[in-house]
Amino acid sequence: MLAAQAGDMRAYERLLREIAPKLRQMVRKRRQFFTAEEVEDLVQEILLSIHAVRATYDPNRPFMPWLSTIAHNRLVDSARRFYRGKSNEVQMDELPVTFADDWTNTENEEYRDPEELTIAIKSLPEGQRKAIEMLKLREMSLKEAAAASGTSIGALKISIHRAVLNLRKALNKE
Amino acid sequence: MDTNRLIASMTANADPVRRLPSPWVRTAAWFAMAIPYVAVIVMMMVPRDDLAAKLTDFRFLVEQIAALCTAIGAAVAAFQSIVPGYDRRFLLLPLVPLSVWLASVGQGCIEAWLRGGAFQDFTSDFLCIPAIALVGTLPAVAMALMLRKGAPLWPHTSAALGGLAAAGLGNFGLRLFHGQDASLMVLVWQIGTVFMLTILCGWAGRLFLDWRPVLARVRRNLAAR
Repeated sequence: MLAAQAGDMRAYERLLREIAPKLRQMVRKRRQFFTAEEVEDLVQEILLSIHAVRATYDPNRPFMPWLSTIAHNRLVDSARRFYRGKSNEVQMDELPVTFADDWTNTENEEYRDPEELTIAIKSLPEGQRKAIEMLKLREMSLKEAAAASGTSIGALKISIHRAVLNLRKALNKE
Repeated sequence: MDTNRLIASMTANADPVRRLPSPWVRTAAWFAMAIPYVAVIVMMMVPRDDLAAKLTDFRFLVEQIAALCTAIGAAVAAFQSIVPGYDRRFLLLPLVPLSVWLASVGQGCIEAWLRGGAFQDFTSDFLCIPAIALVGTLPAVAMALMLRKGAPLWPHTSAALGGLAAAGLGNFGLRLFHGQDASLMVLVWQIGTVFMLTILCGWAGRLFLDWRPVLARVRRNLAAR
């Protein structure tokens, strides 16, 4: 460290490479519930802390207490952050987007039988069938569909609404 | 980032650093900076008329020396608290002169109480608060700047000790121009203010002593290279 303070890059690198595994071991031992990534993050933070305050090292005093004080301090800080984060988290089950009842889950309902759906579409009145084909099957925009069919956007919206109601009725009835 | 790469980037352009002097040397430097300021403030506020007579008053001398030693002890402890590796028991160093100070003032209070005049002289003296703060301002600022050069290991403790050092010095200066010697008044208004400022400084510790900005600066420097 003395050489590192004087700007000896090689000595400094050797020192950091020597202490990194020791720090990793210390972090692993004291934070057994940390993932490998979290351990590595903390080791890096300790190394950065050492780098930041390397001017405080006094060569007349032993190195290890200096190092372990910084490491211990950063470990305590990380524990504080960890528990603060935990205390702000609210543990809850994954809630469904809507209520559990079937009638609220119309957006997620599955077409159980595609063939049945094709027949149901074919049996729709022409206006509604064209609206479904253009807007739902070919995924055209309302503007494009209105231009292609020569009807207004409002009429198309009504057609698609009625078509969906008719399809739902037809599919649920059978 | 991989740890090995981080080490390589930290050491690639590691400039030589100026070693931090020992806490005692730093205390001497702080004191040398603070005392002329306190002297100037005392001269500006006009020293009390009975100062010469007070210098022969044993209790006044004991309390002034104790206040000064509390300031010095707190400064040494504050500077030690930002150097990793010191025994934390050193942080209790200012307690010795502080207890002498409190004992002397406490004894004065008991004597006044036995005489039956402890509460008769008690009046409100809010002037002590800004006066001690004024005398302690520059020492406190200097202390904060000097503490920032170390490791922010215990921000609240370091800041409280720094605050005690500045406020103790502030009280030392105050008694040279403010003629308030009744022990109960000294205890409540002067020592009370010192404790209040100490607590305030301790509370504000994380505002100027924190690892986050220190590490952010290091990361910025590494990224710039």
